[in-house]
Amino acid sequence: MADLTIGILGFVALFALMILRTPVAFAMLLTGFFGIWWLDGLRRAGAVLMTETYSAVANYSLIVVPMFILLGNVASAAGFSRGLYDAAYAWVGRLRGGLASASVIGCAAFSAVSGSSIATAVTIGKVALPEMKRLGYGPGLSTGAIAAGGTLGFLIPPSTGFVIYAILTEESIGRLFMAGILPGLLMMALFMLAIWIVTLRDPAAGPRGERVAFRERFALLLKALPLIVVIVVSIGGIYLGVFTPVEASGVGAALTILLAFATRSIDLKSFATSVMETVTTSTMLYMIVIGANVLNPFLSLTGVPGGLEAGLNALGLGTYGTLAVILLSYVVLGMFLDGLAMLVITIPIYFPVIQALGFDPIWFGVIAVIVIEMGMITPPVGLNVFVVRNVAGDVALGTVFRGVFPFLIAMIVCLFLIILFPQIALLIPNSMFN
Amino acid sequence: QELKLADFQPPTHFIVDTTYTPFGEAISAATGGETTVKVFMGGELGAGPAEQYNRVVDGVADIAFGLPGYTASNFPLTLISELPGVITAEGGTQAMMDNVDMLSDEYRRVQLVGLWNNAPNLILTAEKPVRSMDDLAGMNIRVPSRNAGIVVQAWGANPVSMPAPEIYNAMQTGVIDGAMIDPTTLKSFKLAEVTNFVTQGMDTTISEFFLIMNRDVFADLDDTAQQAVLDAGREAALTAGSTWLKIADGAMADFAAAEGKEVTTLSEDEVAKFNEASAAAVEQIVADAEAEGIPAKAWIDALAAD
Amino acid sequence: MTTSNIPAWPDLFGRATFALAALAGVLLILMMGLIASAVFMRYVMGNPLLGVNEIVQLAAVAITMLALPYATHLHAHVRADIFDPALGRVGRWLADILTRALSIWALWILVGRAWDKAAEAAEFGDATNMLNLPIWPLYALVVLGIGLAIVIFAVQIVLLILTRRAFGEPENG
Ligand code: NA
Ligand code: NA
Repeated sequence: MADLTIGILGFVALFALMILRTPVAFAMLLTGFFGIWWLDGLRRAGAVLMTETYSAVANYSLIVVPMFILLGNVASAAGFSRGLYDAAYAWVGRLRGGLASASVIGCAAFSAVSGSSIATAVTIGKVALPEMKRLGYGPGLSTGAIAAGGTLGFLIPPSTGFVIYAILTEESIGRLFMAGILPGLLMMALFMLAIWIVTLRDPAAGPRGERVAFRERFALLLKALPLIVVIVVSIGGIYLGVFTPVEASGVGAALTILLAFATRSIDLKSFATSVMETVTTSTMLYMIVIGANVLNPFLSLTGVPGGLEAGLNALGLGTYGTLAVILLSYVVLGMFLDGLAMLVITIPIYFPVIQALGFDPIWFGVIAVIVIEMGMITPPVGLNVFVVRNVAGDVALGTVFRGVFPFLIAMIVCLFLIILFPQIALLIPNSMFN
Repeated sequence: QELKLADFQPPTHFIVDTTYTPFGEAISAATGGETTVKVFMGGELGAGPAEQYNRVVDGVADIAFGLPGYTASNFPLTLISELPGVITAEGGTQAMMDNVDMLSDEYRRVQLVGLWNNAPNLILTAEKPVRSMDDLAGMNIRVPSRNAGIVVQAWGANPVSMPAPEIYNAMQTGVIDGAMIDPTTLKSFKLAEVTNFVTQGMDTTISEFFLIMNRDVFADLDDTAQQAVLDAGREAALTAGSTWLKIADGAMADFAAAEGKEVTTLSEDEVAKFNEASAAAVEQIVADAEAEGIPAKAWIDALAAD
Repeated sequence: MTTSNIPAWPDLFGRATFALAALAGVLLILMMGLIASAVFMRYVMGNPLLGVNEIVQLAAVAITMLALPYATHLHAHVRADIFDPALGRVGRWLADILTRALSIWALWILVGRAWDKAAEAAEFGDATNMLNLPIWPLYALVVLGIGLAIVIFAVQIVLLILTRRAFGEPENG
């Protein structure tokens, strides 16, 4: 059988395994392993499995993943993230749809210490959803704002998405992190604009909150201080050259733990729980990386990446036509696939094409992360939507998907703005590094 | 039979046209098309340069490009060649390939196909020029290997270890003051963007590259094919060695010509200071190696005699 | 009779794997401390620690392998559940068994390779570059972590057969 055919069968097997309830990590690992076995014998298949299981994990840069997850878990257990939300609420809760906007701002702020979309949505969702329910917010708007706001976790540094992208493309993690800042803030503003438009059409969906006195506002800002300190130290430290992104993750986590114990916001038991959750989540993510690293050699051996690359070029769509096809394929894949899985499967295939077209690799990293975030909230498989529904408890899945729709439009607008004005992504990294 | 060659460098790297294409053609011609080579660039058979040795030992790839320095514990004798003053940049590849049999003990888990040297590692600094050994005192300098770390320490600087792709950021942000690395990285890792000063002239470490092959796959080849691989490998090493030097020269010329960049070629007095310090370090490393039963002196003498 | 037909013995595996994962947690905190001290030593003391990246790399392998059995026991691995309704009750049950059987097969081969690798790395003294740390214990941890993941999968298959329903389904559903 032709190698390319085996490669395509590999994709079929990958999807079949996922349909058959196989975890993403194992679906990739099994497809890669049995695929290479079929193609090239057990010796090579076993060798790939062994080498990648070790080397995919023994990776210095990847350590930012467990470190930032630890930081986020401890911040959440210590109530620091609640402080962040309360402060945001005090400042914008008075506006129409203000609580939803406060949730988005809370998500953006928490994103600056959390590398994961899901962790961000869960953390802010836990504190914000009951509040919005109490004030009579429409369930669509409230859950939609959290599910969409959570995706900022991937765009605003630190970001697991950028780390994986950097590892796959050998681009600089530091540059990608810096490139995510302005698009993240732009996206936050567009989300707030979406909330404003929704409440303009349906004021009952987002009633105004109580007015908070100015003194109280500053007092609440003070309560959010621990996490703001961590954010400033981690991102400022990278910017000022005190440490590398890897070191920032370690220092940030250590600082969060110190602050949590110093302010008596956490006890040993909930600290231990945070650590256990961190190792469990990290192991799960590391297994996904292993799976992708076993799958990739299989795809290379079948020649699928080269074939797809040639196919895309043969379409002769020109620079932006090819980009459009790539983005559309992300939207389609994003409906079904997990964001990280999508990144590891597609980037080795698309990245050479993007480079050949002359696009900036850092800019494309931002674009890829945004389309992957869109996948996190599109039906039928939208991980952020699932977790927000679980946190909200009494809301139908369809309501959340409908509630997410205005935010999806905002993301598309953001995407177009960054394609039209690449400087939005490139301004900070270029001014910092050149 | 198709031999799969794995390389982690980008598909656009000069090694593909200059070295791998003739390497494959030579093997194919000598075996009447029975044995061919297929090249997988960009880490397609597995990312992570440090694992290249294991990929060949285990059989992920049949042949792999790599640096002995990435798994230094496996190649103590090979890495004696990286020490300052042991080989010359121009004659190193020839000398090592002529004496390659002396290394056989180190390569018993694989088949060594070709071994060549990079251009000498220079001192690249971001903000502070190094015009004398005193300038180097207390600077944080990224080093490519443990041996290089010992040498840099002997020169009075603080050695820092970090993966090559991180150097750019670390130099830009000031996490390190500079790096000891070969000048081709001014282009390949875009280090010219963050480097303002380059210092050369002293005896310095010279890194090695190799092509290694899976032992069992090599053993399964018939005599003609085995000889074809070894002959083509030797030729590939010599070509790659001279190409690397040429690329390094070009990178240095471009750097020197660029505005605001400074290349310091050390004065004779300073060179003597640097070399005196590194010679003492080399002596210690060689003595330690001999103590562990590694024939470092014999290897150095053989390379010098070539 | 309303007694559950879920046997109690699999819980033992839960507690054993929890202990290993707790060890991973301790390692994680130690590693965080190491990274933070490395910054302090370089930035404040002007005395960079050599080889921190090597310790971090080895620790990452250790943490992952120590926590993998526990994560597997908790069903923590991300999966897409969108097609679950279409599979039907029996389909979901069979899929859960099939997935685990295939995983055990592949992981079994991995354990064999890791075992050989550990023995070879010990024989040839494979070690890290800067600190000369031996690598074979990490391969041994791969044997342990993947081996226990196989055991967990096997226990889950036994549970699936005993309870005759897929994971995450109500008892009388
Ligand atoms: Na983030
Ligand atoms: Na989706």
